[in-house]
Amino acid sequence: MRIAYLHLPRFPLQRRIWETPALHGAPVVLWEESRGQKRVVFASAASARAGCAPGLTVTAAAALVPQLQAFPLDPAAEGAALGSLGEALMAVAPGFQPSGLEGLWLDGSAAALCGGERGLCDRIEEIARGHGYRGRAVVASDLFTARAVARHGAPGGEPVVARQESAERLQALPLRALAEQAPAAAQALAALGLTTLGEAAALPPGAVVARLGAEGLRAQRLCRGEDGTLFVPAELPEVLEEALSLDWPAESSEPLLFGLKTLFDRVCARLAGRGRAAVRLQLSLKLDPQGEKSLPLLLARPSAVPKLLLDLARHRLADLTLENPVGGLRVRVEESCEDRGRQMALGDSRRQDEALEVVISRLQSALGEDALFSGEVLRSHRPEAAYRRGAFHPPRMSAGELGDSGARLFSAPPSRQAEKAKVEEAPEPGVGVSVVDRPPRLFPKPCSLEAEVGPSGQIRAARLLGKRRRATAVAGPERLCGEWWESEAYRRDYYRVHFEGLGPVWIFRDAEDGRFYLQGMFD
Amino acid sequence: MSAAAEQVNKVAQLRERIRALEAAPRQRLSVVRTGVAAFDALLPQGGLPLGQAVELWGEAATGRTSLALRAVASAQRAGRLCAWVDGPAELYPPTAEALGVDLRALLMVRPRAPGQLAWTAQQLARSGAFACVVLDVTHTGARLGLQEGKKLADAAVSSGTLLILLTPRDAPADGMLRLGTTASGAGFTVEVLRSRGGGVNRSVEIPWEALWEKGAPMGLEARAPDAPPPAGPEGLLEVGYRHRGASAARSRACLGIRGQRPGRDLRIPSGLQGALSG
Repeated sequence: MRIAYLHLPRFPLQRRIWETPALHGAPVVLWEESRGQKRVVFASAASARAGCAPGLTVTAAAALVPQLQAFPLDPAAEGAALGSLGEALMAVAPGFQPSGLEGLWLDGSAAALCGGERGLCDRIEEIARGHGYRGRAVVASDLFTARAVARHGAPGGEPVVARQESAERLQALPLRALAEQAPAAAQALAALGLTTLGEAAALPPGAVVARLGAEGLRAQRLCRGEDGTLFVPAELPEVLEEALSLDWPAESSEPLLFGLKTLFDRVCARLAGRGRAAVRLQLSLKLDPQGEKSLPLLLARPSAVPKLLLDLARHRLADLTLENPVGGLRVRVEESCEDRGRQMALGDSRRQDEALEVVISRLQSALGEDALFSGEVLRSHRPEAAYRRGAFHPPRMSAGELGDSGARLFSAPPSRQAEKAKVEEAPEPGVGVSVVDRPPRLFPKPCSLEAEVGPSGQIRAARLLGKRRRATAVAGPERLCGEWWESEAYRRDYYRVHFEGLGPVWIFRDAEDGRFYLQGMFD
Repeated sequence: MSAAAEQVNKVAQLRERIRALEAAPRQRLSVVRTGVAAFDALLPQGGLPLGQAVELWGEAATGRTSLALRAVASAQRAGRLCAWVDGPAELYPPTAEALGVDLRALLMVRPRAPGQLAWTAQQLARSGAFACVVLDVTHTGARLGLQEGKKLADAAVSSGTLLILLTPRDAPADGMLRLGTTASGAGFTVEVLRSRGGGVNRSVEIPWEALWEKGAPMGLEARAPDAPPPAGPEGLLEVGYRHRGASAARSRACLGIRGQRPGRDLRIPSGLQGALSG
């Protein structure tokens, strides 16, 4: 199996600077509390030049650089951020495994899709750059070689280590490359005066076992490029969520949108890595000092395009009034579906999709989510229960500027399976086949009708729209009944009646009370 | 011919076809035809023009909704999305589907307040995402004022959307093209009341059958109200859970409206007694 390793030097520091651009070029350190003392873990280039190194106490570092800015390191948050990047990289690698806080191992078996292993390295670095991180990718046959070459290899060197070349490429690397995987053995070997992995690899194995035991032998095997450690892909979190804390509470939309752009970029990259598209998102604004405001973002067409999501959020925020400034942002994907991409036809434009999402979002925020829907026909004989409100997810219509002819030209013919499914989905006889004879206007509640009935039981006239109207023609009855097993059983005889001065209307006589009701109009 | 040569030939043919398509003039949708020949012929452009606010003004049950649904279905067949601002919450999706409307591509909006109707339609029309937007203000008590009408017309013009206004007789709007509809016995009359493209005062009578292609419901013929009901149980078309399959034959013997056997289970309504005894 081929393994890629992406080395992200001082990843937590890179992340901090990406989130707070004002820190760029400034002396910054991240510290961690160790035995009651705040010790530097990561130091920026500016602070390193002044002598700040990992292991130094923050007090000593501040004495060296008076303008030093020190922030606590949050390993959990850094690990989550690294995992997010790993998910984004799943667009080019089927799986990833975090390596500390500065790197990721990736499954390199899909390198052929990127034009080979060199192409895979370029693509990985490009994706990382897209997220604001600087890194170096190397492909090798084992985990140790990939990491050692990426971290300690000469900058600008060959990123691909061929299958039988591991030992050769490791030979010149410094012994400290071993310290991360086998610290005790590395220390012992360094005490013997060895400086490179090649020197350690050249030692007689018997002597190494005699002096350093099994740990020493394992370290030597690593130096020879014979690492047998298995690649264990990380499990993806079920909830796809990204959060960001703003350094200063935001009182205008500009800093909010800046933060949201970062969040949506990450969320969409993670979605793309999983091959999914968002259907519903939840945007939470954490208010400072207290309170929280949640905004749902519902998409008509599933999408993993950050610009589209940002546009939606911008429109939702434009109408929003908050009591307190915003101190943090959180985006959670509530619902997602498989991203099948989009086959565009000649003349198709993405702007239409954006316009659709924006107008739907605007209407949802003004009218409420339940005011917008798409009708779904149900298999029910009771007319008023023959449909329900469903989510509006319009199908792709690739008409473009070519109109109907374009759509026909570029639409694939229905497969045999699809045709079979269509036949299977056809309603059973008696259900749905007669809907063409239902009125286009159906009152939500049938209105009681003052009807005059002839001796034969047929309707002769009725009071409609404020005046008595004579029935000029009647068609029916059509009996609809059912749900006798429910508390609200129905049994109705429907008639289509032409009244004077009106078009046909749809009325029924209820078996329960024998009265006539107006249910709809053939408008 | 070898397989490779055949493939090259196919690719060349496809390239040529794409070139021809790209070079051909774009077929932009300019009018939406409802498919009702007499109605389309009445309109100056031969159909409902895109980029205009068209008002269908008339009493209830005068064919306005069906015409609008036909326009929606026609626009959808051309691969466009449509929206329906349903003020009275009366649009019946099963019928819309039966008239050829793809419900998945029809956004239905039911604002709670009548005052939001015009604003909603304006937003939808202005977005340019919908080829046809229908605003139904019938039975809502809302009346579109001059300013609202102008805003709606501007939205339609700026985005090239067909905006159809369904307005009641007592609350006309300010559509650029106003068509009055009136029921007249076996059909309905459509009259051009206002038009910038000419043809004002022209009218046409359209039979109901032209709107609902299948004509009378369930294959039943319309008959005079005083005419006796068809003899025998065949006149009663039964659709329902209890009346399908083997039980249908048994249930057809029940002529009472409540399913009762005459004179045995329940008292039959007085109006039917004569008919049954006769």
